[in-house]
Amino acid sequence: MPGPDKNSKPRLARGCRWGEANGAERMLMFPEGALRLQGTGREILERCDGQRSTQQIVEELQAQYKSGDSGRILQEVHDFLENLQQKRVVDY
Amino acid sequence: MPTPNPLALIAEITHRCPLHCVYCSNPLEMQKAAGELSTEEWVRVFREAGQLGVLHLHLTGGEPLARPDLTELITGARAGGLYVNLITSGIGLSETRLGALVDAGLEHFQLSFQDSREAGANEIAGTPSHARKLQLAGLIRQFKIAFTVNVVVHRQNLDHLGEIIAMAEELGPDRLEIANVQYYGWALRNRDLLLPTREQVEQSQRTVAAAEERLRGRMRIDYVAPDYYARYPKACMGGWGRRLLLLDPAGQALPCHAAGVIPGMQFDNVRQHSLDWIWRESAAFQRFRGEDWMPEPCRSCERRTEDFGGCRCQAFLLTGNAAATDPVCTLAPTHGVVEQALSQVGPDGPSMAVPASAASWVYRPNPG
Repeated sequence: MPGPDKNSKPRLARGCRWGEANGAERMLMFPEGALRLQGTGREILERCDGQRSTQQIVEELQAQYKSGDSGRILQEVHDFLENLQQKRVVDY
Repeated sequence: MPTPNPLALIAEITHRCPLHCVYCSNPLEMQKAAGELSTEEWVRVFREAGQLGVLHLHLTGGEPLARPDLTELITGARAGGLYVNLITSGIGLSETRLGALVDAGLEHFQLSFQDSREAGANEIAGTPSHARKLQLAGLIRQFKIAFTVNVVVHRQNLDHLGEIIAMAEELGPDRLEIANVQYYGWALRNRDLLLPTREQVEQSQRTVAAAEERLRGRMRIDYVAPDYYARYPKACMGGWGRRLLLLDPAGQALPCHAAGVIPGMQFDNVRQHSLDWIWRESAAFQRFRGEDWMPEPCRSCERRTEDFGGCRCQAFLLTGNAAATDPVCTLAPTHGVVEQALSQVGPDGPSMAVPASAASWVYRPNPG
C-alpha cells in the first residue's frame, strides 16, 4: 500500500484532538476511543498540524534521531500515518 | 486488585423520543419527563465523571434533542473534561441548533438510520423520518465534527446491505457502524421478525469485508455481529462494571442498558450518591464484577478474561438466571435455548411466514 504523498500535509481528522485527562498524561481523543502515545508515535502526531508536509515531518525526525536509520524512520512515519488515516484519526 | 476507572459514561438524558423503533435499547419501563435530572444535576455528574477518569461521554436517549438544554449539557460536559458524542435520530434538529451544539463543543455526531429504503425505514421507526435524516446528513458535513452513520440490521434489511453501504457512502461520514440487533427489551419482543437467517449473516460478513477493502481510508466500517450466531459470547460492555457506566434519565446508575431487568438488583442514584461511590462501592456495580460470581464452564475457561462470561442480562432473559453463562456461548449448558430460537428462523421456520407489516410489530411508546 502506498504511503502518504511527501507533499501532503497531515492533520488531525475532524473530531480528533489532544486532551488532558485530569492533568494526567496527554492523550489523543477521537470518537470511539483515545490513544496514549509515547516515543516516536507522539513525535509524529504532534507534528500533524496541517502546516508541515509529510517530508518535513520525516526530516525533522531524522534530524532528531541522528543515530537512527533514516530509511527506517521514513518507513515508520509512513506506516504510522497510513494506519491512523485508516482509523480516521489523521487526514492528509 | 483495585477497581479500574470507568472510561465512558452513557447518559440517557431522556427517554422521550419521536421515533418508536422496534429494537429500541431503552427498557420496557421508561422514565417519564417529570423525573428527569435537571441541567444542573447533569452538569454536576459530568464534572464528577471527569474527576473519576471518564474520557468519553455518549449523550443518548430516547432522543437527546428532546432536551431543550442540550447545548448547556454539552458546555458542561466539555468543562468537565469529557469528549462529547451525540447519538441521535436527528429529528427536530435545525441548522441553527446544530451550529449551537457544535459551538458548545460537540465533537462527534452519530446519526442513526433504520434502512436505505424509505418505506422499510419508516416502518421500523414507526413514523416517517427517513427523508429528514437524509437532508440532515448534508448539513452535518458542513461542520468540523466527526460524523458516524449508524444502521441497525436484521432479517428485514440484511438482504440489501450493499444498498445500505452505498447510501452511507453518498452521505459521506467518517465512519459507518453496521450493528446487528441485540435481543433485549423491545427487540426481544420483536425477535421473531428481526432474527436473521444464518445465510443472511454469512452473506453480510462477505459484503462488509468487500466494502471495507474498497473504502479503506475513506470510510471506516465497524460491524457488530449478531451474537446468537457466534461461538462465544460478546464481552458485554467490556465486562460488568469494568469500563462503562450508564445513567438513565432519572439518574439511576446501571452497568448497562438492560440491567434493570435483572431481579433483586438495587441501582443507586446520582441524586443520593457520588458517581465515584456508585462505581467503586455500590452493590449493583460489584454484583458481577471480576470472576467470583462465575459458574462453570466460565470459571475455568481461558476466555473468561476476554468475554467475562458474556452478557448477564441475556443470561437472565433467556435462562431465568443472571449468573448463568451467557447462553449464546456454545459451551454453555443452556445453549439449547439459542439453538431453539435459531431453528425457528430457517426458510421453513414458522417466523419466516409472518408478514412484516406494521401491524405485527411491538412499537416502543413515548413515555411522555
